[in-house]
Amino acid sequence: MITLELIKLMIIDGVMAAITAIGFAISSNPSRKAILISALLAAFGHGFRFVLMQYGLEISMSTFIVASCIGLLSILFARIIHCPAEVFSFPSLLPMIPGLFAYRTVMSLIKFMQNTNAVKNQGFIIDFFHNGMTTLFVLLALVIGVSLPILLFPKTSFSVTRRY
Amino acid sequence: MISNLDNNLPSIEQTADLLSDIACELMSSGAHTMRILQNASRMAENFGYHLDLTVFQLSVIITITDKDDPTRRLTLNKKTKPLLINFTFVSDLSALSWDTYDKHLGYEEVKQRFHEIIAQKRTSRWVILMLVSFANASFCGLFKGDFIAMELVFLATLAGFFVRQEMLLRHVNVLVTYTTSAFIAGIIAGMGYVFHWGNTPEIALASCVLYHTPGVPLINSVLDIIEGHVLTGIARLVNASSLIACTALGLFTALILLGLDKL
Repeated sequence: MITLELIKLMIIDGVMAAITAIGFAISSNPSRKAILISALLAAFGHGFRFVLMQYGLEISMSTFIVASCIGLLSILFARIIHCPAEVFSFPSLLPMIPGLFAYRTVMSLIKFMQNTNAVKNQGFIIDFFHNGMTTLFVLLALVIGVSLPILLFPKTSFSVTRRY
Repeated sequence: MISNLDNNLPSIEQTADLLSDIACELMSSGAHTMRILQNASRMAENFGYHLDLTVFQLSVIITITDKDDPTRRLTLNKKTKPLLINFTFVSDLSALSWDTYDKHLGYEEVKQRFHEIIAQKRTSRWVILMLVSFANASFCGLFKGDFIAMELVFLATLAGFFVRQEMLLRHVNVLVTYTTSAFIAGIIAGMGYVFHWGNTPEIALASCVLYHTPGVPLINSVLDIIEGHVLTGIARLVNASSLIACTALGLFTALILLGLDKL
């Protein structure tokens, strides 16, 4: 169900994703237009993933769907502003990097290393694999999802900077 | 075909020099191998040469062959500058290569426009510092961190990113830079745990070093591997992974020092 609460959360999510994308886009020094577009795509991407996950889709699958959408849209925008698609596809994916899962992975590894209690250690191993696999699959989904359109339309993605 | 070049043909050495400069510049600004290859070949085509190119992490090797006289050829090996991602260069050089191809620009004009492109200034480092700090703070918000956690992450990023900029300016080793910067950010973000500030200190710690994510090298490496430039792709992947490992090392040194690993 789409409720007011859900829409509000989605908008907050989108705005924060846009701020994140602007910050990370600017450190790779693109043009002003590209920064705006990456903010737009990031807001769309993260909001869309939020909705997909609200409907019960699993995190890596929804990330893959969103990443391919961003890839397609970035080729479209690349044609419009004559700028390679990679320029804004990377910063707009950044808000979806699974930082929390990665942190928990290493944390459970360290705890496993320092603990000698066998029963507790089983819990840490489960934590390690659960978080580690989630990190790995979300990262793979992001990278493969966004490069898929570039591979499907190689002609288009290499000629976007052509003006004639 | 190449009408306006007849009176002013560049020598094979000049062409090789210019093309290897362009390839090096593209490599150090973070273009993937296929783009470098296509841009350079397109320009070589315009000057009447055929080009073969091999890109490594630290050097670019090109061989150009005269189309009319295959015995005239030249191989050049050039060192690249350290990676400093600059997408303005990538898109402008890409556009320049298409212009060269479509408008049959002469050697002198291409050379002049190339130097104009690489003379462009980057965004001011202070603007980048502020925006990255805000970005990382809102990253913390995306992970459902509360306001205090976001403030902590803002401060941690401000300090960590400043240290990274300073150390990179002084040409300290990149891996050492990343470890130190992550360590400092970790110490500051860990204060939430130590003094019991806010309800989500874990999220502050987890997101305080995310400004180190080497996203461009990672995406480039996957693109390279899929497009068949496996060696370059793996080199980029190893580079990116060692940066991630160093970030983790710095963060967890901070955690162990603060005694947070026992929680």
